[in-house]
This record gives sequence, structure tokens and C-alpha cells, in this order.
Amino acid sequence: MRMPHESAPNLQTGDLAPNCVLPDGSRLFEWRGRPVILAFAPEEWDPTRAHQSEIFARLSREFGSGATFVDTATDEWHALNCRGALAAQFGVAGQRALFLLDERGVVRWKTVVAPGQDLRAGQVLAALEALHSPPATAGGVSALGGGLSRRTFVTATLAAAALLLLPGCSTESTTKEANSAADPMGPASSADTIPVVLTINGKTHRLQLDPRVALLDALRENLHLTGTKKGCDHGQCGACTVHLDGQSALSCLTLAVMSQGKEITTIEGLSTGETLHPMQAAFLKHDAFQCGYCTPGQIMAATALLQDKNVRAGSAVEIREAMSGNLCRCGAYPNIIAAIQEVQRA
Amino acid sequence: MHPFQYQRADSADQAVAAVAKTPGATFIAGGTSHLDLMKEDVHHPSLLVDVSALPLKQITAFEGGVRIGAGVSNTAAAYHPDLQQRYAAMSEALLAGASVQIRNMASMAGNPLQRTRCPYFRDPAQACNKRTPGSGCAAIGGYNHVHALFGASKACIATHPSDLAVALAALDARVQTTGPRTIAFPELLRLPGDTPHLDTVLEHGELITAIDLPAFAGRSHYLKVRERASYAYALVSCAVALEMDGPKIRRARVALGGVAHKPWRVGPAEALLAGQLPTEQLFQAAANAAFADAKPLEHNAYKIPMGRNLMVRALLETSGLQPMQGPAGTAFAASVGGVAGRLATPR
Ligand SMILES: Cc1cc2nc3c(=O)[nH]c(=O)nc-3n(C[C@H](O)[C@H](O)[C@H](O)COP(=O)(O)OP(=O)(O)OC[C@H]3O[C@@H](n4cnc5c(N)ncnc54)[C@H](O)[C@@H]3O)c2cc1C
Ligand code: SF4
Ligand code: FES
Ligand code: FES
Repeated sequence: MRMPHESAPNLQTGDLAPNCVLPDGSRLFEWRGRPVILAFAPEEWDPTRAHQSEIFARLSREFGSGATFVDTATDEWHALNCRGALAAQFGVAGQRALFLLDERGVVRWKTVVAPGQDLRAGQVLAALEALHSPPATAGGVSALGGGLSRRTFVTATLAAAALLLLPGCSTESTTKEANSAADPMGPASSADTIPVVLTINGKTHRLQLDPRVALLDALRENLHLTGTKKGCDHGQCGACTVHLDGQSALSCLTLAVMSQGKEITTIEGLSTGETLHPMQAAFLKHDAFQCGYCTPGQIMAATALLQDKNVRAGSAVEIREAMSGNLCRCGAYPNIIAAIQEVQRA
Repeated sequence: MHPFQYQRADSADQAVAAVAKTPGATFIAGGTSHLDLMKEDVHHPSLLVDVSALPLKQITAFEGGVRIGAGVSNTAAAYHPDLQQRYAAMSEALLAGASVQIRNMASMAGNPLQRTRCPYFRDPAQACNKRTPGSGCAAIGGYNHVHALFGASKACIATHPSDLAVALAALDARVQTTGPRTIAFPELLRLPGDTPHLDTVLEHGELITAIDLPAFAGRSHYLKVRERASYAYALVSCAVALEMDGPKIRRARVALGGVAHKPWRVGPAEALLAGQLPTEQLFQAAANAAFADAKPLEHNAYKIPMGRNLMVRALLETSGLQPMQGPAGTAFAASVGGVAGRLATPR
């Protein structure tokens, strides 16, 4: 086992974590006997927010009494500031990173992302893969019997699931990685993910997703294409409208896994460089919005309408009927219709 | 949403085998009904078998009529020139339903298999025999203004929401399945009885492969009343298929929507119409006959006069005694009131 080196703090899997002082004043070695997760993140990253909190609550529950992770006086999951001294000791200063330490304080799993980049599922899956085999180095760790305790395993699986679901953790993986994830590594759970390849605005994205993920959530949460909006999440408002093979469709009622093989176009794919699509320009010109929340969906429905051979152009009544799937609670309808009519006439 | 496994089927056989051998497995096509209900925690499939990529997307001539593949989208069927002309009621029903986006996604098999819009069914906190057999029916003593006038039971008073299904009932469509068997359309869907959790007669793993429309040389039409001009379910709707013999009606088929657990064919009214000259008086008599045994609930009695008037108007418009509100085969012909009901000239 390699001991961490003061001057080159680049902690690898299999290394013993340094006996550092944690924010609550305890020393890391005091936590031996239970697996520990250390998460480093920028201050602005708040893991207790929104759906993240649910994932962390689950992690918490799973750790229960037998194990715990680094926490603060507030007794809550605490993301260690990646700009602090501790991050430097772990060799991840300024980076988002997750470490899983086993009962002996050895790093069994580690994933790091440079600032501005996204976490990649590939990394997580590779780490999970590594958990199957004995640690890279022999020595004291062989006492674990070359494998993992069940609790550690569950922990790792859950943590992987958490990572996959964290916003900002856009995912990329090779088929090999995808296959290893599909292995029945434990009881089937919601953490089971499958590889999903999506073609969005002409670019191919390889994701590793729970089959339950709607296209809308894959776009927004995994790929940060947040132009597509979530209004009702039940097909009733049109805010999530995208194009699938050139036709308008609701991304909230489309599973991401079922969108494979289709050309997906989102509002981000309409403009060419800095040049707006004529429909975008017309919406601006006609002031076809107030709060703007419904606008991306309106524009996607309107641009699909332009290409729709079945609908006669020009008549306000026909536009109203064809656009009835897009609600606007600000009531910008007359201006929306004016914008569409102008583009239809051009 | 509960976790599920996902599998994409490449052939009908594969799809059927996958669902048949897996308890709790279901097909998914457009997903607009099924995924919505999965999100609501009403449906919890163990395995989703995706049938949207199956080669069931043709519209072909068949025995003098037309065969529509199960996977044809609602949009593609509605605007198919032959269908729009020969089976206008079907195009009108489709185009007056949902929105452009949803019609692009929805399949012809999925549409008549969509579940009720009874609000209690969609709320897992409420008693509902359709969702949870034996739990009771919150609608019976609750707010039942969208519920049934005909064929309801002590267990369930829900209505079927599909517009397409009403048109298919009037057109005597037939459903082809991997049974293999042919099911006459009205028999595909069931009345609630004491098994309201069963909407259809399909077996577990039985896949619809096509919908057949028999030869038809008359005029058909669909009319729908809703709470807003567009993008809303029918309160009451009516599909009419008329075949004429010179000036007289040879055969009339009339189906009502929004009034029962399945499209409601009105046999006695159809019998009154056969062999008669079309007149408003006759149509009124037929409408009275159609609603004679309606059983209103606390909040839905309004559907009786509304339904009668709608049926009279649908017959008048189909027989040509009164003009339609828009071109046959479009949403404008099918809509009552609102902007969608009037096709203004382009300005
Ligand atoms: C906001 C909103 C408004 C709507 N308004 C209307 C409206 O006004 N009028 C109207 O009629 N409808 C309306 N709809 C409903 C819509 O038309 C249906 O959801 C749609 O037609 C269902 O088709 P699908 O392919 O998406 O079905 P899915 O959701 O994929 O499937 C529905 C059911 O059919 C089964 N199934 C699918 N294909 C097959 C097959 N080949 N064989 C056997 N079983 C199969 C599935 O297992 C599932 O149980 C609306 C929906 C929404 C969300
Ligand atoms: S009417 Fe039917 S669907 Fe509605 S609550 Fe009663 S049992 Fe459920
Ligand atoms: S968010 Fe998809 S229709 Fe409202
Ligand atoms: S602009 Fe606010 S909802 Fe349409």
C-alpha cells in the first residue's frame, strides 16, 4: 500500500487516506470500522437542494448506524469545500470529487472532475468495476478477503446512483462500461441504469440512465439543455415541446430511452451561431411573451407548424387550433399568433 | 415512479413473448397515456415492452375498406387523404382530440386503450375500484359531472375518454390482434360491471396489430362539446355514419361519447332512422329514443339535453340539412363553439 505523500498529495485508489482533521474537529482515523464517503464541491453546490436531498436522505438511511459519512454539527450531509485545506490534502483542490473509503480508511473508489467539466458516469462505473476486484495493492487490505463487505457494496452502488442523478453529472460511457453496469450486481433496484444514446441538435450524447428518466429530465438535468421547460410534467401545457424527427412532441411524456434513433431538436438547436431562427426573431419583434416560461415550447411548436404540410398557413384560427397544445399563463396569445403569421408570410 | 425494466421489441412475436411471460409487463407505444399514469403512481409495470418501433405503420387497402397499422400515429391517420375523405368521422375525432404534439406521439392502438379521465382514478389517495379493486368508488358520492349516463355499475361510473373510439364504434371497425383474432370494435372495450379494473377484453400479452375499417360509401361525421375550444376532453360527443338509399336513410349508425364506460351505440335510435327520410323531427325522435334510458347522477344530468341536442345537430350536419362548421374531416367540423368551431377566412 502506498502511503500518501505530503509533497505530492495525489491520492489513488488503494491508498490510505491521510489522517486529516475534519470540519467537525474529529480526525478521519476515528471513523475507521465503517465506510466513509467524502464529497468535495464548490460552496455554491448544495447537495441538500431539490431532488439531491432525496438521494442523500437515502444514502443516509442506508448508512444507518453501521456506518456514516462526514458530517457537521448540523448532523447533515456536508459537502466539503473543495477550496479548503482538506481538499488540498486529498489532492483535489478546486475540483468536484467523491471518495469512498472502506472500513480501514483505504480509498476504494474515487471520482474527480475538473472545474467547469461534468462528472462522467464512465468514471463512476469504472470505479464500481474496481470494487469487484481486490484492491490494486496487497498488504494490509487483503484482510478484507479480496472483496467488499456487503454494506460497502451497497454504499458504493447508492453513491453511484446519487452521482448519476446529480445535476451537473452529465454522463458518458462506453458500451463496455454500460454492460458492466447492467450486470446483476445486486438486487434489482432503481439504481439500475441502461446505456442511452441520444442525437440532440446534431450531436451524439452517450448517457447512462435509469429507464424512468423522461427525455425532458435527461435534457435538463443530465445535459444542461435547460431551454426546454418543465411546466406540468403531464402533457397538459406544451412547455416541454421539442422536435422528434421534425415533428413536435412532448419531452415530458417521452422516455429518454424511447427517443433513441430519433433526431431530437431543442430550442438550443434552432439558432445558427448568433443568428436567431426567424421564429425567434419574430417572437422578439412582436413581444410574444411576458415571463417567457412558455416561450421555448411555443417556438418549437411554431417552427414545427411551419413545416406542417397539413395545416394551411396564414389563418389566425388555424394557427390557434394548431397551437392549442401550448398554454401561456401570461396570455401572450395575440402576439404569438402575430409572430407566427409574419414568419408564415415571409 | 416505480422502477421497471425496459425492452425494445423488433417484432410483434418478440413483443408478445416478452409481455406474456412477465407478470406485470405491459406494452408502451406513444406513452402519452401510460407514462402519464406511471408518473401519477397509478400504473406500475414491471417491464415496459416498447412497441413503437414495430413495423406496424402501414395504411393499406383491405377488403374494400382500409387497414390501419396499430403503430400509425394519430396525426398520420387523421391526415391520410383516403381516410380523411372516406371516413371523415375518424379524422374529425382524431383532430379534435388532444394537441398536435400528442397526436404526433399517440398511436392508433394506444388511443382507444387510454384510461379514463375520472379524476379519482388518477389520485392514489382516493378510493377507486378501477385503480385498486375493492377500494370503493369515490366518484359515486363525489363530484361526478364527467361521469356516465349509461351502463354504469355500483363499482364504477367512469366514462371512456377517447374520441377516436367513438368514431370507430360508429364505423364498425374491427381490431386485429396477435391472438390471433378479430374483435369487433364495440366488444374490445367492456362495461365496468364488478370488474372495472378491466377496460378491455384483451388478454395479458395480446397485441393489437391493426384496426380495420370496413367498406363504407356513406357520410360520417363527429361532433364534440368541451369545456374550452380546443385541447380538452369531450363532455359529450357523437359520431354518425349514414348510408343513403336515394333520398332515404338506408342505414344509420350512431355512437355517443362521454356518456358510458365505452362508446355507446344507440340501437333503438338507429332502428328509428333506418328507411326514413331525413328530417329534423325524425332526428329529434331518434335523440329522444337514444337518451330514453339515461340514468343521471348527482352532477351530470346536464349531459342529457346536451347530448340530445348534439346528436340532432350531428345528424343534421351529416345528412346535409345543416352546414358543418368547417371542412369535413377537420377539427373545425368537429368542434362546437369557440374559435376552433369557426374557420375564419385568412386575414
Ligand atoms: C393532455 C392530454 C390531452 C388529451 N386529450 C385527448 C382528447 O381530447 N381526446 C382523446 O381522445 N385523447 C386525448 N388524450 C389521450 C391521447 O389521445 C392518448 O393518450 C393516446 O392516444 C394514447 O396513445 P399512445 O400510443 O400514447 O398509448 P400508450 O400510452 O403508449 O399506451 C396506452 C395503453 O395501450 C396499450 N397499448 C399500446 N399499444 C398497444 C398495442 N399495439 N396492443 C395492445 N396494447 C397496446 C399500452 O400498454 C397502454 O396500456 C389526451 C392526452 C393528454 C396527455
Ligand atoms: S368512477 Fe370508476 S374510475 Fe372513477 S373513482 Fe369510481 S371506480 Fe374509480
Ligand atoms: S411539461 Fe410537458 S406538457 Fe407540460
Ligand atoms: S409568456 Fe409567461 S407563460 Fe407565456
